Amino acid sequence: MNYEAMNRETLIKKWLDNELSAKELEAFKQLEDYEQLIKLSDRVQQFKAPAYDVDEALKTIMPKIAPKPKQTSIMKQLLRIAAIVVLGFSIFYYTTTLDTTLSTDVAQKTSIALPDASTVIMNAKSELTYNKHNWNKQRDISLIGEAYFKVTKGSSFNVKTSLGTVTVLGTQFKVKQRPDLFEVICYEGSVKVTHQGQDSILKPGDSFLILDGKLITKEKETAPNPSWLNDKSYFKSMPLSYVLNEFERQYNLNFNAQNIDDNQIYTGSFTHKDIDLALKSITLPLNLNYSIKNNTVVLSRE
Amino acid sequence: MPKDLNDHICDETRFASVFSKHAKDLHDFLYYKFGDHFNPKDKVQEAFVKLWENCAKVKPSKAKSYLFTIGNNLMLNEAAHQKVVLRYQQMGHKSHTNENPEYLMEEAQYNEKLQNAIANLSDAQRTAFLLNRIEGKKHREIAELLDISTKAVEKRIYGALKKLREEIEGI
Repeated sequence: MNYEAMNRETLIKKWLDNELSAKELEAFKQLEDYEQLIKLSDRVQQFKAPAYDVDEALKTIMPKIAPKPKQTSIMKQLLRIAAIVVLGFSIFYYTTTLDTTLSTDVAQKTSIALPDASTVIMNAKSELTYNKHNWNKQRDISLIGEAYFKVTKGSSFNVKTSLGTVTVLGTQFKVKQRPDLFEVICYEGSVKVTHQGQDSILKPGDSFLILDGKLITKEKETAPNPSWLNDKSYFKSMPLSYVLNEFERQYNLNFNAQNIDDNQIYTGSFTHKDIDLALKSITLPLNLNYSIKNNTVVLSRE
Repeated sequence: MPKDLNDHICDETRFASVFSKHAKDLHDFLYYKFGDHFNPKDKVQEAFVKLWENCAKVKPSKAKSYLFTIGNNLMLNEAAHQKVVLRYQQMGHKSHTNENPEYLMEEAQYNEKLQNAIANLSDAQRTAFLLNRIEGKKHREIAELLDISTKAVEKRIYGALKKLREEIEGI
């Protein structure tokens, strides 16, 4: 390659890079193939890439990328996992500490063993709620209806009802709660009854009865356990309306007592096993007649 | 080079600025290298979407190389072994409108030859040459875009020029 050729190549390269000085440009123009070079360079322009509108392209791409910012999503991912873990724990905690509720239906009695070997026998149409998880620390049980408790010795055992609370240490007693009746009978040990802020201590055989908001004094209870445990309901000087109410709990029927005075006092018992016998044991002493129509017992005077 | 204050592009404003800076170069690069068969515009979008998906991993200083590599690969997936054809842009050489038919025919022949010759260049030569001639980029700028030395760019462009002339003029 001679000096001429080298010079030519350098000039063209400089031209290609737009680096020609004024003097060099003159020399470049003197090249024999100057015209061809310019023509080629000129014609090449026709192959220019289609115009690329950056702003337009940017507008198209932004919506595509918007929903997915990765960096923050690592944080979000962690938060999501954390939320699931927390939720899982809460559900676990909630379900394990959830109160246990047991209920009995009409004419149904159930015996339950509590976590500490205390037992409860529930009479018909009653509901018990307690917390298994917390049982060792706090023996609290809520009662709607009627139940008989055999409590093993331990920390205080509370039976809560809408009308009052019964607290014991270890004993046998029954609690009966009705809309306007609250009865506690102690069979063994001692029982503390709290009603409207007042405490009463019951000894074996003592009973505590609130009827229509009034405290009723009753004779000593002599039976060793509630009569209903032997499938009998026993009443002592109770208004007939309460007796009928209890009857409805044991037999699936309704009473129509429109034609009689249901405030008259009844003392006696009825069995849970034989409806005719049971009806007779209520109506005979009170001189009443009864007839059954469509699950309704109509009571009338003789 | 300014230091990367934030080592990622996972921010819409930052992403948009990277886009504005590199999108056209990437588009032109893909166009000149692969022609317009495979829609360089779409490839640009795809490459940027990929950049966004990996925004946490790609430092801003590496964004350009990343985009060019991804764009190139996207094209290669489709464009393998296809001949590159660049479309004439009807630029309307007004000065030629009154030329005689013979001249016009010669011009047409020239353009056809040029088109073939450009297609016959190697990808590397064509890209460098057209970025230089058409987009008016300096050798240094092309070197930066392609991550090669200025010397290599110069060689490619000069080589391309030589080859084109050989094919067109039979030199």
